[in-house]
Amino acid sequence: MARISISKLTVEFAVFGSSARSLKNSILAKATGGRVTFGHRNIVTVRAIDGLDLELRDGDRAALVGPNGSGKSTLLRALSGIYKPTAGHISITGRVGTLLDPKAGLDLEATGYENIYLRGYLLGMSTREIQTKMDYIAGFTELGDFLSLPMKTYSEGMVARLAFAISTAPENDILLVDEGIGAVDEGFQEKAEKRIAQIFDRASIVILASHSEKLLERFCNCRIHMDRGKLVERTMPHPAP
Amino acid sequence: MWSRFAVHDIKLRFKRSIIGPFWLTLSMGVMVGVLGLISSSIFQQNMAGVLPYIAVGLIFWGFLTSCINEGADVFIGSARYIRNIPMQLSIHLYRMIAKNIIILGFNMMIYLLILVIFPQPLNLNYLLVLPGFALYLINVAWAAFVVAVLSARYRDIPHVISNLVQVIFFLTPVFWSAAKLPNRPAFVTWNPVYHMLEIVRSPLLGERPSIVSWSVSAICALAGCACVLLLYRRAYPRISYWV
Repeated sequence: MARISISKLTVEFAVFGSSARSLKNSILAKATGGRVTFGHRNIVTVRAIDGLDLELRDGDRAALVGPNGSGKSTLLRALSGIYKPTAGHISITGRVGTLLDPKAGLDLEATGYENIYLRGYLLGMSTREIQTKMDYIAGFTELGDFLSLPMKTYSEGMVARLAFAISTAPENDILLVDEGIGAVDEGFQEKAEKRIAQIFDRASIVILASHSEKLLERFCNCRIHMDRGKLVERTMPHPAP
Repeated sequence: MWSRFAVHDIKLRFKRSIIGPFWLTLSMGVMVGVLGLISSSIFQQNMAGVLPYIAVGLIFWGFLTSCINEGADVFIGSARYIRNIPMQLSIHLYRMIAKNIIILGFNMMIYLLILVIFPQPLNLNYLLVLPGFALYLINVAWAAFVVAVLSARYRDIPHVISNLVQVIFFLTPVFWSAAKLPNRPAFVTWNPVYHMLEIVRSPLLGERPSIVSWSVSAICALAGCACVLLLYRRAYPRISYWV
């Protein structure tokens, strides 16, 4: 039983310009005191998500859409717990898996095998869990002996394969996915999509942020439309086609 | 988990070198040897007395400086992890400290080697190194945490810190001994780093650290933990926004 409920979520970024971020200016602002400088210390605040209410239940395959900068990635990050809300509340039941930047946490100097372990630990897998999945992951990448070589010898596409295979290994109730899967050749693309479909069947709730209509149409059954940090439209799930 | 990453960091750093992490031991050994030679000829002391003192001082000082200097980069350097993978942020800090403890272990071989070459009578004071190191570790850890958080927010801090550490190195009796001075200068008596270093160094030289050193270290540890709590409350949730 998985569930996400968000009420009045607001996420704000303080963007420290070159001036606000240095200590000198902070101290100067305090020292030169005055009420004038104290209140606005040159920090620009960006409200990435603005009073969002959202409810997702078991079986929801939500397509998160909206123009660039509408707060899609920020919402996924807030849901995964990376960004703590500035205001509002998020409550989640279920183990959350994220597929935000598949290449984050990969070490170019380490070998493919080492990276599978490192990344696996980061994703919250135990050594045993990784060991049982190792054959599967290794097989999925189709990299063969390359897995014993340092990752810096890999091509862009090979890195993408490895990243995808590791990232999609753990089993989760809730899956948050940001954008596509990177540069892979056509054969692997097909395999990856098949894999995504499998994972989507396994996870109870999926939120997929993408600009690819084709992808969204194929995998999602409802739609969350955001614009400038606000919810514009939310359709309820219809039976999958 | 952080210990696995720490081991990985060490392995990676020495991947293609033949003697691997023993480079750490070797370079520390050369440093200790040269400084020992210099001070034994300048101050007319015998090597047997000077070497263990310098070795322990440099090894533990090195641990402190690398923890603090690398602490400045703990969150900034892991920005890609922090922004993309949900995980406890403190793991990055533990990973760095664990790595430096491993390095400390390799460096301690120098100390053992010196003990073998210039045998000292063993006594119970040596055991005091355990509580001493525990307290030392607490002090290093809070300092690293504070530096790490402040550095993520204020990008001047890393530069300030690396300068500060350098200055403290000269103010603290690391490779020179305060005991030899006729009257102890104020910057030694009031130097908390000196007292922190004393509680690990004296036991390893078979001496008993003074009560003053113990209390100064304990007070620093308490004050530091208070700082950590305060920062943890106020700044910790914001770190992912700052990096």
